[in-house]
Amino acid sequence: MPRIPTSLLRSAGAIDALLPALLGPNRDLAAARNELRWLREHAGKVATTRSAKGATWSKGAILADLVRRRARGTPLQYLLGTEHFGDLEILVRPGVLIPRQETAASVTHLVRLMRNALQLPSELRVLDLCTGTGCIPLLFEREFRSTHHQVQLQLLGVDISVKAMKLACRNLKRMRRKEHGGVGNGVTGFLVADVLIDPFEDQNQPQPSLKFALNLVNKPFWDILISNPPYISPSGYWKTTSRSVRGYEPKLALVPPPSPEKNDTEQADAFYSRLLATARDVEAKIVLFEVADLGQALRIAKQARRFDIFDGIEIWRDQPNETDHEILDDFPVVGQGNGRSVFCWRGAGSAWLRKGLGEHDDATDAKRLFKSSYTDRSW
Amino acid sequence: MPLRPWICRPCLLRISRPSTRRQARFQTTASTPDSIPSALLERARNIAVEHKQLTEKLANGFDTRAAKKAGELSRIVDALREWESASESVSELTSLVHEPATDPELLELASEDLGETTKQLANASQTLVTSLVPVHPFAHLPCLVEIRPGAGGSEAAIFAGDLLRMYQAFCNRKNLPVTLLKYENINGGQEAGVPMSEAILEIESDNAYGMFRCESGVHRVQRVPATETKGRTHTSAASVHVLPSLQDHSSEMNLEDPESDYYIDPKEVRLEVMRASGAGGQHVNKTESAVRLTHTPTNTVVAMQDARSQQQNKERAWVLLRSRIAQTRREKREEEMVALRRSVVGVAKMGRGDKVRTYNWNQQRVTDHRSGTTVHGLDDVMQGGPTLEKIMEGVRGWLMEKDVAALIAEEADAKK
Repeated sequence: MPRIPTSLLRSAGAIDALLPALLGPNRDLAAARNELRWLREHAGKVATTRSAKGATWSKGAILADLVRRRARGTPLQYLLGTEHFGDLEILVRPGVLIPRQETAASVTHLVRLMRNALQLPSELRVLDLCTGTGCIPLLFEREFRSTHHQVQLQLLGVDISVKAMKLACRNLKRMRRKEHGGVGNGVTGFLVADVLIDPFEDQNQPQPSLKFALNLVNKPFWDILISNPPYISPSGYWKTTSRSVRGYEPKLALVPPPSPEKNDTEQADAFYSRLLATARDVEAKIVLFEVADLGQALRIAKQARRFDIFDGIEIWRDQPNETDHEILDDFPVVGQGNGRSVFCWRGAGSAWLRKGLGEHDDATDAKRLFKSSYTDRSW
Repeated sequence: MPLRPWICRPCLLRISRPSTRRQARFQTTASTPDSIPSALLERARNIAVEHKQLTEKLANGFDTRAAKKAGELSRIVDALREWESASESVSELTSLVHEPATDPELLELASEDLGETTKQLANASQTLVTSLVPVHPFAHLPCLVEIRPGAGGSEAAIFAGDLLRMYQAFCNRKNLPVTLLKYENINGGQEAGVPMSEAILEIESDNAYGMFRCESGVHRVQRVPATETKGRTHTSAASVHVLPSLQDHSSEMNLEDPESDYYIDPKEVRLEVMRASGAGGQHVNKTESAVRLTHTPTNTVVAMQDARSQQQNKERAWVLLRSRIAQTRREKREEEMVALRRSVVGVAKMGRGDKVRTYNWNQQRVTDHRSGTTVHGLDDVMQGGPTLEKIMEGVRGWLMEKDVAALIAEEADAKK
C-alpha cells in the first residue's frame, strides 16, 4: 500500500490534531473527516450517558481513545456499535460480521422486483441462511411491508454462531420497539443450526443440522431462500481482504471451514452446493446468494443450472438495476460494479417476478424437483 | 410686574411647534385602495361567472379537479360579493345625502353611515385586489434556504455565517422547526469557528416558502471586518437562495406527474455511490456512505456525505436535486412571463438578481432596496428579532403591489 504523502498528513493536522491518525485506515481526507465527525458525535453521546452514571471520563479522552483504536484498524462500526443497512440501523458487535452495503442493495432490488408480483400466496415464507446480525430478514420485512400490506410474512434467520443469534434477537427487538408496536402481520425468528453438516450422518456436532432444526420448528418448506455465506477462499483471505476485516471480523463468517481434499476455489464455493440442495429440499421459488466476484458468480450459476430445477438464473452486480444488462456465458448480468449475487427462480416464483408468465405447471415442477433430488449424490 | 421665569428662545420656539412631527409621505408607490381599476373588476366578474358554472357542474356530479378549482375561486367570489354590496350601499347613501328632499333626521343618519360604509368599501376593495393576485403555487410549502458567501473573501464568509445565525434565530423566535441540512466551512469540513462556504437550512413549516421567498438575492454588508487591521470599511456580499422544499408529506405536489415542476425522470438521474476499489463485499468494511446524483439533461450535480446511512444521504440528495431543478424550471418560466410584462411594468425578477438588501454597521441600519424600507435596529435584525420581521413584511407588501400592477397591466394588455 502506498505511503500517505506528508503533505496530506500535514494538511490534515492543520485541520484537526486527531485527523492524521484516521488517514491510516481511510487513505483519503474527506472520508477521514467524516469518520472523525461521527466519532466525535458518538464520544459526545457516550460522555453524557457515562457522566449521568457518575463516571469521570471526559469527552476528549473518550474521543482520543476511539481515534487510537480506529487508527489501529478496528472497524468504525464496532466502535460506534451500529451500522446502517438500507434504512435500518443494525447493532453490530465484535464476533459478528458487519452488514455490507452491497447486500442491502441486492435485498432491496429483490423486493423491488416483487413490487408488482402476481398471485402471491397469503403467507410468504423467507429463509435466510448464515444471517449474522439478522440484517437481511429485518430489511426484507421492512421493505416488503411497505409495498404489500395484505401478505403475511414469515421470516427465519439461521446461523451457526450463538453469539450472532443473540445479537439478531436484540436487533429484532430493537426494530419492533422503534416501530411503536405497529407489527400487524409477520413472524420473524432466529435459529441456531449448522448449514453444512449432513443430516443423515451421526450427530456429533454441538449445533443441529439445518434439516433437523427446520423439522423441529415444523417448517420444512420455504418460498424464498436468501444467503450471504462465507465465500472467501483461504488464499483470498490473505490477499484480498482489508486489514481491518482480517484483524477484527470473525473468520467463521468469511472463509468456509477448511477441508484437506479440496483445492482453493472448491473451498471458496464449499457452501453453495449445500445451499442449492437446501433450496431444492425446502422447495424455494426464489433463491438469492451473495458471491465474491464475477468468476465465482459464473461458477455458482453453472452449478445451479446443473441442478436443473430453476426456470431462470441471473447474476447481479453491486448495484443491480433495470437498465444495465449484458449477457455473459449465457447468463444475464444485471447492474453495475463487481459481480455480487446469483439469483434464481422457478415455478410460481416466475409469476411473482413477472418473468415468463403462465408457463409453470405444478406437475412438471414436482417431477423436476423429484428427479433432481433423486439423481443428486452430494450429501 | 408679575414674576415670570426667563425662558430661552429655542425653548419658546419648540413649545410653539407640535411635539412630534407628522410623518408625511410625499411620494408613494402604494396603490390607492378605494378605487378598483375597471380591468380588475371585469376580471373578477368573469371569475364569478366561471365559479357559477363550476358550482352547477359540481351539483350534477363530483369532480375533484373542478371542486378544487371552485374552492380556489370562491375566495375571489366572496370578496367580489362583499365589494359589490359595499359599493351599492355607498352609492345609495350618497344619492340620499345629495337629494334635497331628504328628511333632515334621515340626512344626519345617512351622512353618519356614509363614513363607515366608505371605510368598508375601501377594505372590501383591498381584499378583492389581493385575492385577485394569484398566490404563488409553492407558497404553502416548507423551504430550503441556501446561503453562500459572494464577493469579499473571508469577510463575506463571516457575514454569510452571520446571516445563517440570523435566520436560525429568527426561526427559533417564531417557533418554526428548522434543521441545518448541510454546513461546510472553507476547509470543506463541518467545524464551527472557521468561515463557512455553504450552508443549507431547511424550514419545515407550512407557508415557509411564502414567508422566506423574498429573502433570496444578494445581501450586501458594509462594515469594518474583523480581519481588517487598518480600520477601513469594506463592502462584501453573500447570496441567499430560497427554494421550495418538497417532502413526501406534501402530497398535493404530484411527483409522478410529468407536468409538475418537481417531476424528474429517474432514468435521467445517474446515481453514483462511492465504491471502494477492489473486491468489495465481505472483503472490505468500508464506511463511505457518500452519494452523488447527476441530472444528465441539465448537468445538475448534488453530492451528500454527511449521514452515515447511504439511504439517508440518498434521500437528502433527492430532495435537494428536486428543489433545484424545480427552481430552474420555474425561473425559466417566470423569465418568459417577465419578458411579456416588462414592456409595461418594470418588474424586477426575484432570485439571483441584483443586491436586495444592505446591512450597514457604521450607521447601524438595514435597508431593503426593493421596498425602500430602512430600519435602524441592526443588532435586533442580526438576532432575528421583530425588526427583521418588519423588513420581511415590507418586502412582501412591495411584492404584492408589484403583482397588482402587473395584473392590471396584463388585463389592459388582454383588452387590447
